[in-house]
Amino acid sequence: MNIKSTDMKIKRILIANRGEIAVRIIKTAARMKISTIVIKTAVEPNAMYVSMADIVYDNTEDTSDIPVFLNIDKLIEIAGKTNADAVHPGYGFLAENAYFAQKCIDNNIIFIGPSPDAIYKMGNKTIARRIALASGIPMAVGSEGNIGNEDEAMAVAGKIGYPIIIKAASGGGGRGMRIVRNPQEMERMFIIASKEAETAFNDPSVFIEKYIENPKHIEFQILGDTAGNIIHLGERDCSIQRKHQKLLEEAPSVALDEELRKTMGNMAVRIAAAVNYYSAGTVEFLLDSDKNFYFMEMNTRIQVEHPVTEIVTGIDLIEQQILVANGDKLKIRQNDVNLKGWAIECRINAEDVQSGFAPVPGRIENLSLPSAPYIRVDTGVQAGSSVVANYDSMIAKLIISGRDRKDAIRNCKMALDKVWIKGTKTTLPFFRMLVRNQKFLNGDFTTAFIEKDLDKYFLSSEYEEMLAAWLATKLFIEENFLEDSIPVDFEHTSEMSPWLLNKRINQF
Amino acid sequence: MSDKKPGLNKLYALSSENKVFCFPRPLKHSIKIGKRVYDVRLKTDDKFGTYILWKNRKYPVEIVRSRQNKYEILFNDISYTFTVETPFSLKRLKVLGSGRGKAEKELVKAPMPGKIIDVLVREGASVLRGEPVIILEAMKMQNEIQSPVNGRVTAVNTRPNTNVMKDDPLLEIKIE
Repeated sequence: MNIKSTDMKIKRILIANRGEIAVRIIKTAARMKISTIVIKTAVEPNAMYVSMADIVYDNTEDTSDIPVFLNIDKLIEIAGKTNADAVHPGYGFLAENAYFAQKCIDNNIIFIGPSPDAIYKMGNKTIARRIALASGIPMAVGSEGNIGNEDEAMAVAGKIGYPIIIKAASGGGGRGMRIVRNPQEMERMFIIASKEAETAFNDPSVFIEKYIENPKHIEFQILGDTAGNIIHLGERDCSIQRKHQKLLEEAPSVALDEELRKTMGNMAVRIAAAVNYYSAGTVEFLLDSDKNFYFMEMNTRIQVEHPVTEIVTGIDLIEQQILVANGDKLKIRQNDVNLKGWAIECRINAEDVQSGFAPVPGRIENLSLPSAPYIRVDTGVQAGSSVVANYDSMIAKLIISGRDRKDAIRNCKMALDKVWIKGTKTTLPFFRMLVRNQKFLNGDFTTAFIEKDLDKYFLSSEYEEMLAAWLATKLFIEENFLEDSIPVDFEHTSEMSPWLLNKRINQF
Repeated sequence: MSDKKPGLNKLYALSSENKVFCFPRPLKHSIKIGKRVYDVRLKTDDKFGTYILWKNRKYPVEIVRSRQNKYEILFNDISYTFTVETPFSLKRLKVLGSGRGKAEKELVKAPMPGKIIDVLVREGASVLRGEPVIILEAMKMQNEIQSPVNGRVTAVNTRPNTNVMKDDPLLEIKIE
């Protein structure tokens, strides 16, 4: 696409974010010849994004407990001091904070995202439900509004029928959600969900929906401009998730044919139109085994998994966000959108798959990420970076493309074996197992896949365990039998297979 | 330890699941699988640090912990714990092991660093395996810690709003 920088009102963007998404925004901005400002913090002063931006605002003196990326007044102040024309919020932090978007506008700073009104309406899940209902979008039955206490929750759940799901009204990203299967669990789950909603979103209000069993998570990428044009860029299948946290996303989805894609895509556009949506956004649906779909929520920001859509459509979503914020009309029409090939994203997080995906903050001593025409890596870390407990545990997104799903998975398998990360445990063993799982290969998986269909969360062959045992033995010998380092007697010990003896010992 | 007695020409690596791997001493840099013998090479380079070369593939390795004869090895991003035994110490272990009953108490530890939000049981409470006993907040998520066993809570070592480190003891449960 041809961009004349002279046409641009936006010449300097303050990135109100960190990590890989800050790096991602810098890359597109640089290509558009727009300069970027990032904020250097005391928590990670040597982060990769800091070294890549044109201008660095030093905020390391600020030792407040609240990250600067959540401090609206401070961000507006920094935008003013650095003469930013626009703010890109990335995802997380203030990306879906209507008040922040409004504050930017009030201070003559362009907010790269939708209108504060759209953020507010879609951000409040009970309002969003009402809008979807009014627009004739299929939805799971649920409570009329927010639920005040456990007793009310019991009453509503009794009417809808178990299982139900409690969701945070201001929620998103899977937090503040709990499934309740019977009345006995209700009180506890209600309290947990509400508390989690309060810590995560500063709002303890929750609502209740009928829980759709074993659905697929299908979401549509939306793109709109301020002139009222709205298109969709196809779907992403984000069913591989654990406790509502997405681990792997792909585009397109095996579950959709052209007709269903068209129907769901039109519904996604319709709900976006109901709030006069512009910029990039995502409409999330649940798809049940009978191919009925239900509106779940709309996320009014760029999403972590946006790259898979970029790969299959060839459209740079960050560029589109910037152009729309600049006031440009969409140059792409719905008919121009063709999905080509297949893309898969693996979220490589600093998590211990052997202890229930517990986050393991720590220092990345070294890493080597592969490169090939079919590999895209979006990352915000480099050797020496730390995964800090203050933020999420993402190390990198490994985005793999292929001619079709089979090809993409084959490429993914190769790429996964070439990623080396030292210093922390990661989700890599999970993905290495997943790309060999027959059900996954067949496309036969739902959001319950990890909890129900897997008996092991990681790949480890008996050969690998045997080699690890060999290394442990080697270390023991080096520490205890110095004389073994003198090369004598080699021919005396015959070759033996560790397993053959293993059997004999077990038979003692 | 410079024991040259016969019988010390073997070493056993016991996994945490009591699998036994036997290796010759001195250790060979090759392993027999079926009828074929494969080379095992431990190498180090500037880019990746230490790795094991096996059947033309590089597997990154790290020594996470080692204490006496106990080793925690990170092999291809998976950790394995082994105790390495000589034929004598293995025999002793078997004698000890046969007389040893099942553990009577289970210590519930913090699976990750975080803040205790709620303790759902009191001392004396009877709990079932899988029953949530503690809510721990970490990385902005509320995590339910479940009882690993059926039993009775004999000690509560934490309370709400306490910050805990990984592996801090939280509860003691007597197995029933």
